[in-house]
Amino acid sequence: MTDFRSQPLSPAELAAFRARQKSRSRALAVVLLALVVLFFAITIVKIRNQSAMRAAASHPAASASPLAEGK
Amino acid sequence: MTIAPAQTSFTPLDADWRDFFALTKPRVMTLVIFTGLCGLLAAPGHLDPVLAFTAILCIAVGAGGAAALNQWWEADIDAGMKRTRHRPLPAGKMERTSARDFGFALSGGAVMVMGLAIGWLAAAILALSIFYYAWIYTVWLKPRTPQNIVIGGGAGAFPPMIGWIAVTGHITLMPVLLFLIIFMWTPPHFWALALFVQTDYAKVGIPMMPVVAGERATRHQILGYAALLLPLTLVPWWLGFAGEVYGLSALALGLMFLALSAWVGLRRSSGAGDTMKPEKRLFAYSILYLFVLFAMLVVDRVVASYGA
Repeated sequence: MTDFRSQPLSPAELAAFRARQKSRSRALAVVLLALVVLFFAITIVKIRNQSAMRAAASHPAASASPLAEGK
Repeated sequence: MTIAPAQTSFTPLDADWRDFFALTKPRVMTLVIFTGLCGLLAAPGHLDPVLAFTAILCIAVGAGGAAALNQWWEADIDAGMKRTRHRPLPAGKMERTSARDFGFALSGGAVMVMGLAIGWLAAAILALSIFYYAWIYTVWLKPRTPQNIVIGGGAGAFPPMIGWIAVTGHITLMPVLLFLIIFMWTPPHFWALALFVQTDYAKVGIPMMPVVAGERATRHQILGYAALLLPLTLVPWWLGFAGEVYGLSALALGLMFLALSAWVGLRRSSGAGDTMKPEKRLFAYSILYLFVLFAMLVVDRVVASYGA
């Protein structure tokens, strides 16, 4: 297990600690940014799908209608 | 001058992002992603590429969360085995509670996103698969019964089923068959590994089949499951869910799998000097087998859609 020292860290240990902390923060930032992009893309797709379904529901026989075919 | 960082929280002092990534068992995840993707691509219907990506991401993250929970629970066992003692928890790279929280966060997040973006049936089965691996297999079965890997194998069998349901939105016979194929594949795959690392399992008191029932019984069971697997993989072809490309590939791959399993199943270890080459070969081939079998399912679907 990790040793949660009560002793102060040496400069080298502190530098390593900060470096790992920074790497974790950067990784988390990348993950959060990726999630923002993903959620935005999902929202766009969902809105587009719903619009298409509404359009199909409001003109149910438009494409199959003989009138539509013969126009 | 030295400065002591605040010791008020359980912030892991030494954990790097790579350690958290290692908690998700990336190598196992590769197979999970692949079989999930194959289930998704082989399913009848169409899913928007963004949603398809999201579904696969959720399957992968859910599997990663379950793996982190598994390592949180088994940190002491992992510390006692050569194969696992370098994992982040037994190596002392992070606090145990960090692994637990990470596992719950990944699992919960994956299920929520799957439910909101794809559908709640796929999300429910994803949640079931995480529960199955983290609780039924890890906590309940693994330390209690030598049949642990048989029933626990179900956890790894869910991804293609979830991928399929993400597209269709409902459960039919074909995703159940895909589930059963991986379910039946797991015992010979895992017991081949257990045969050549059995001393490690014995040391930490895990009742793996070779430890409890002995090597001979394990070898016979490997052969038995391989013999059941072959006809099972042909069922999608017989029932018309898949075409000849899949059927003939499944037959050829399965015969090879059966031959390697027979070699392992009918031989006896020659003692301490035995290099266990047939067992290692079967283990390596079993991974290739599953990759190619599922790939052929997708190829078959592509061929069928071009032919239509």
